[in-house]
Amino acid sequence: MSEVTRTGTETGNANPTLGRALALIRQPIVVALVLIVILLALGETLSPGFASGQQIMRLLIVAALLGIVAAGQNLVILGGREGIDLSVGGVVSLAAVLAGNVMNGADIGIIPALLVALAVGGFFGACNGIGVTLLRIPPLVMTLGMLGVMQGLLVVIRNGIPSGSAAPLLSTFVSKPFLFGIPGILWLWVAVGLLMAFMLRRTVFGYRVYAVGSNEQAAYMAGAPVKRIRVALFTLSGMFAALTGVCLLGYSGTSFSGVGEQYMLPSIIAVVLGGTPLSGGKGGYTGTMAGAVLLVILQSILVTINIDESGRQMVFGATLLVLMLFYGRGRTMRG
Amino acid sequence: MTAMPKLQLNGVRKSYGATKALRHGDLSLDAGEVHVLIGSNGSGKSTLCKIVAGSVRPDGGEVILDGQPVEIGGPQDAKAKSIGIFYQELSLAAHRTVEENICLPSLPLSGPFADRRAITERASRYLKLFEGVTGEGFALDTPVGHLREDQRQLVEIMKTLATEAAILIFDEPTSSLDRSQVERFFAVLKQLKTEGRSVVFISHRMDEIFEIGDRVTVIRDGETVGTLKIGDTDQAKVIALMVGEGATPRSGAEAKNPATTIRSDITPRLSVSGLSGKGFRDIGFDVAPGEIVGFGGLHGQGQSSVLRALFGAAEVAAGSIALNGNSVTPADPRAAIRLGFAYVSGDRGRDGVIRGRSILENVTPVHLLRAGQRLLDPADLKQKARPALEALKTVFAGYDQPVTALSGGNQQKIVIARWLVDAPQVLLLDDPTKGIDLGAKADLFALIRKLAEDGLGIVLYSSEDNELLQNADRILVFNGGRIARELAGDERTPYNLYHAAYEAA
Repeated sequence: MSEVTRTGTETGNANPTLGRALALIRQPIVVALVLIVILLALGETLSPGFASGQQIMRLLIVAALLGIVAAGQNLVILGGREGIDLSVGGVVSLAAVLAGNVMNGADIGIIPALLVALAVGGFFGACNGIGVTLLRIPPLVMTLGMLGVMQGLLVVIRNGIPSGSAAPLLSTFVSKPFLFGIPGILWLWVAVGLLMAFMLRRTVFGYRVYAVGSNEQAAYMAGAPVKRIRVALFTLSGMFAALTGVCLLGYSGTSFSGVGEQYMLPSIIAVVLGGTPLSGGKGGYTGTMAGAVLLVILQSILVTINIDESGRQMVFGATLLVLMLFYGRGRTMRG
Repeated sequence: MTAMPKLQLNGVRKSYGATKALRHGDLSLDAGEVHVLIGSNGSGKSTLCKIVAGSVRPDGGEVILDGQPVEIGGPQDAKAKSIGIFYQELSLAAHRTVEENICLPSLPLSGPFADRRAITERASRYLKLFEGVTGEGFALDTPVGHLREDQRQLVEIMKTLATEAAILIFDEPTSSLDRSQVERFFAVLKQLKTEGRSVVFISHRMDEIFEIGDRVTVIRDGETVGTLKIGDTDQAKVIALMVGEGATPRSGAEAKNPATTIRSDITPRLSVSGLSGKGFRDIGFDVAPGEIVGFGGLHGQGQSSVLRALFGAAEVAAGSIALNGNSVTPADPRAAIRLGFAYVSGDRGRDGVIRGRSILENVTPVHLLRAGQRLLDPADLKQKARPALEALKTVFAGYDQPVTALSGGNQQKIVIARWLVDAPQVLLLDDPTKGIDLGAKADLFALIRKLAEDGLGIVLYSSEDNELLQNADRILVFNGGRIARELAGDERTPYNLYHAAYEAA
């Protein structure tokens, strides 16, 4: 047999073991995991006790809150065509405020509050999706506009005053050991992770998300319902953000209108850190989870060394820009 | 004493990892000649060209320019040595205008700024060469992104010409051009020859090669296997050299196509009448089960638009479509696929290949839609995809390999296989062989004939007349968005096809 199978590797590396090691190092998720260990070690040196079991558990709770928002962000970005959801912070706030008012400190109100929050999050997400697909508004503009709408709504609803309160059961679920000594929100995050993995790898919907993100026209010609998929992605993003909103209420006990704003930029950074390029079509949620943990540790270190909120924002912005240099540059446009 | 060659390559080599892209490349290019480079996809022609153009550094071998051994350090160095190249994958700036793109390789400056007047002046010189064949909506200030594919290819040609280089390399410059555009381009090449400039020309179209070439160099599996004078050879000899020993030229059309008699008592697979839309008017034809109907004519006369409209990917203003006697109106490709339509585009980069994703993901989307599945079973999908890929003799390492790691011909096979996992009713082929090698073409057409024998209705549009003459039972010749003539049986001759295509054009 003289037939040669081309594998398309162009590394030209003489040492296959080294080549494989290099390929592994280039995996964003491996980079993220290595950085997590380094940052934990750094934190421990700066402030002994930083990497204690209890502290790590606290970091993971905060990471879960971010990670669940980032799941939706991840989906929107995977769908390509400059997909991005800048409204997640607004949804988190809105969901937290609405849920707080619906449950008003009573355990019995948790389920109705959750349903209201998911419905509202899904509604605004769907609006984003419809604006992007039917009205052809660029996602950046559409979701930024929606963020403005939601901020306005919050002012109308509660005028920014802390209002509503978390049910005790919800607070316990989020911050106290729930099962095998691990808080409920971490179990919830694991469930979100499994759901995302299943959806992206084992459903036709997941295949189509990648196809649309890689080459929308080809996906359309092969029968993918491109618009429906994109609306679904934005809707899911709104719902994931709402889920974080409800959990955040449980974490902080009460909610105010700006409570979710901190999530916009970090949710995007977590996705990119985890190896999903902003151009979409490749990557996945496992990396995003690692990205969320990494980001939360970084944030915590910044707090430890007394860098204030504005300084942290600058660091995050810079992080995203640096990441763009490594992973974010998408495909070049084809003539 | 013969004159010294302008450019000579001796035993040039290039490997990418374990893949030897070029093993032993020889080329001798004279001043004032059009030298054709031919070989199947992946044989190393493009690598050879890239070495000359400086975008790839050879691992070994000699490059001799004007009798002096040289090293071409990069594209800038190639430019300095008066070598210009037309890339197969167009390299135009979509948002800039035609004139800016033409002048891009060496922008005329006035001080630190671009000299707009000089740009317009220089670009218009090259535009003038193609006056009358550029088609609608083509002007110096049109953004390139607004142009059709053939028009963009013309801009790329003009851009290459504007380098005014002594050695010009054209890597498949005519793949999207229509007959009149190709003829004008050839006239320009002949003019270049009289100016003593050297042209390297790559094409998969035999007729073009024999029309414009002075000599032809054949590359097989990364090795130069021979250089022939075009005047002393014929197509059969060139093909034999390409394919290697023992291969005989394929038999002609007649043996393959028994004249099909269309029986009126059989319901046509596809029946179209009075179909009108953007770019076509009043199109009517039937396709019987087992029939291959060809669409011919010059490029861009509505053939693609009709196929896309049938597939629900372009708007239909009027007319009716019947599938197996039932009236249908496919609103979008999704609906068309469910009805049993299949559509293979020649523009695989845009309409076909899901870049960066695996082979499995590229083969299965249509099956998943038809089967109405929601969950995936990769092992089961691999089973289902295998027969389709085997029927096309697709070479690949594994289903999880990214599709973009394959050669162009194999990528197109993957895209075609997508439609064959479940047999469709009607197969619409929109110039499916563009840019794929002769071996892959032969595999493809053998398969198409077999599918027809299984009872599919097939519509084939090809920009290569030979493909139509050899494979279609009937040929509908398009002109100005209408069917100008139908050729069946013995009427299917190159002369009739050219004649009908040029009528009133």
